[in-house]
Amino acid sequence: MTTLSAGSVDAARTTSDVLYVDLGARTFERVSEHVAQAELGGASLAIALLDAEIAGPIDPLSAENALVFAPGPFAATAVPAATKHAIATVSPLTERLTDGLSSSHWSGALRRLGLAGLVIRGAASEWIALAIDRESVRFLDATELLGASPAETTKRLRTQLGDPKWRVAAIGMAGENQVRFATIDNDGRQAGRGGAGAVMGSKRLKAIALLGQGDSSLPLADPERVQKIARDLRERSLGTATAKYRVLGTGANLRVLQRMGMLPTRNFAQASFEGAERVTPERAREAPEAYLERRGGCAHCPVQCEHMYVRRAGDGKSKGKAAASEYESVWAFGPNCGVDDLDAVLDAIARCDDYGLDTISAGGAIAFAMECAERGLIDTEAFGTPLRFGNGAVLGPAIDAIARGEGAGATLALGVRAAARKIGPQAEAFALHVKGLELPGYEPRALPTYALALAVCTRGACHNRAAAYDADLRDPGNVLSDEARARAVVEAEDTAIAWDALVLCKFTRGCFDDFWTEGAALWTAVTGVQLDGPSLRAQAQRTWRRKRSINARLGWTPAEDVLPDRLSEPVADGPFAGTRIDPQRLEQQRMIYEEVRAAL
Amino acid sequence: MRLELFGMARALVGSPSVDLAVPEPTTLRSLLAALAVRYPQLDGSVLDAASHAPLEPNVVLLDGRRARGLDEPVSDGDRPCLLFLPSGG
Repeated sequence: MTTLSAGSVDAARTTSDVLYVDLGARTFERVSEHVAQAELGGASLAIALLDAEIAGPIDPLSAENALVFAPGPFAATAVPAATKHAIATVSPLTERLTDGLSSSHWSGALRRLGLAGLVIRGAASEWIALAIDRESVRFLDATELLGASPAETTKRLRTQLGDPKWRVAAIGMAGENQVRFATIDNDGRQAGRGGAGAVMGSKRLKAIALLGQGDSSLPLADPERVQKIARDLRERSLGTATAKYRVLGTGANLRVLQRMGMLPTRNFAQASFEGAERVTPERAREAPEAYLERRGGCAHCPVQCEHMYVRRAGDGKSKGKAAASEYESVWAFGPNCGVDDLDAVLDAIARCDDYGLDTISAGGAIAFAMECAERGLIDTEAFGTPLRFGNGAVLGPAIDAIARGEGAGATLALGVRAAARKIGPQAEAFALHVKGLELPGYEPRALPTYALALAVCTRGACHNRAAAYDADLRDPGNVLSDEARARAVVEAEDTAIAWDALVLCKFTRGCFDDFWTEGAALWTAVTGVQLDGPSLRAQAQRTWRRKRSINARLGWTPAEDVLPDRLSEPVADGPFAGTRIDPQRLEQQRMIYEEVRAAL
Repeated sequence: MRLELFGMARALVGSPSVDLAVPEPTTLRSLLAALAVRYPQLDGSVLDAASHAPLEPNVVLLDGRRARGLDEPVSDGDRPCLLFLPSGG
């Protein structure tokens, strides 16, 4: 054990300490970094720290890659829905930058250690877990943790470390096997679309355990002001703006998107699903005699948006493990796989959580495999039960095979882009991805502003880095000009970057009247550093430029800012039947987007 | 006139749709007012208690398009829906 020199352990935002850990050399260094003062925190800081680690194209699963964590500046303070952290690394799925967010106790522990960031370099020669507290960084043998789920890993590490207050971020079997869309789990939350879990696995790092300084809040520049803003935000976050999350959860999106004809179905071959009513999580909520509901959420968050369901057994108790019924997860295994069996979908989600798999990409990979099988490109019996749309029984075996890297699962574990290249050129036409990241559950052909946002997104097909669908949903049927669309995408991107730097939960977006001004005021109250709305926006734009710069260094070219071929085909059904993405028009919009960006 | 309900409106009313007796021709404002009278639990949660306008993030769609305003005339053929704008996070 080596003593960890503490720079400004007890400071709040004023800390600029970044902990660098080299897994190969088993060394660490705590450094006060100028960049940690210059950036707001969260994703912006994590990306800035990664920027310094990346000189050019690298193999994301090599020791050259770095894995960066940065807490939000409001983590472990009274600010609600803000105890969160960001992750940044080079994605093995896209080979470009990926940044992810997670929440809860681990985020708070990172902040309480007085750290602005944690940078993991190199790769261990044997499987290890890190245990970091105020005194030391320990490199623990993790051999016996292999194969354990993140939840089980947490339990065992706490026992080993002798204190239940240790907070643990861990990978499951999927991360160990370097599945390209493996996630990192902490406190039952998952982060890392794009495969941050695989990067952690490539470093033979099973878990990172943190012991913060206890339950006391961090010092604040203006405690009274922070308390007032936090109290107000807490009240607003219990109002109508978040009611759908609190009462229904995001799963309620499913019925609405079905009604609007924007529900991608069977690998985006259709835009509505005849089985939607059978698979909506609201059905479980409305049938308490059949399903047991568990509510949950992140630490220090009044919204508590998580609605977990499991079918009741004959005695009225639960029949298995409850699964989170987030819209994207239910959509990925339900409509996108043509499966209308809610129990099979919930089981698939629970398996992904145990293995540490991104549900959107896992569902996308299985839907892609179903279409490959139906077209005769792969074996329909690859997973022991027919691999075809609608067969809920195949979800479990397919997920098991992906996580274990067995048989056809090993191909799907590469993600749909690489899997299609392996299967053959015919398959590439219906591999639904942008830059290698599988598409989320909104029909881009019905949402043209969102479609542009997906194409240009530095992370690939991510709905959370630019919620540009809002511009489409607020004005359905109306035609925005290409310039208006480009400007809406830029606005949505910059807004998301600012949220992810402050790391506020986007579910509270309706709780702000003027996010830029109010967010900046909150920052100033917490840190004592003056910031106004325009400066916050300028910071966001700087982070966007940094994202683009990192991707360019990794080999990005504008040719990557395109949408999958399937979206050039007309929508088959519903109110948007016949609508398609015209690649030439998209390219024109992309060029306008670049002009708008260049003018900022 | 039939009004389809989604999200909080559906949860609070306990039904996927309601048939409201409104004299035709009518407006969206009259339709929502009739809804609020029948289901006062919507006031302050889905509808503004005074104007009966949908509260964010709730909106009314008419046959798949957003209503221009509460005074827009509606008929059964417009297939009005009270729903919320979906969003991820």
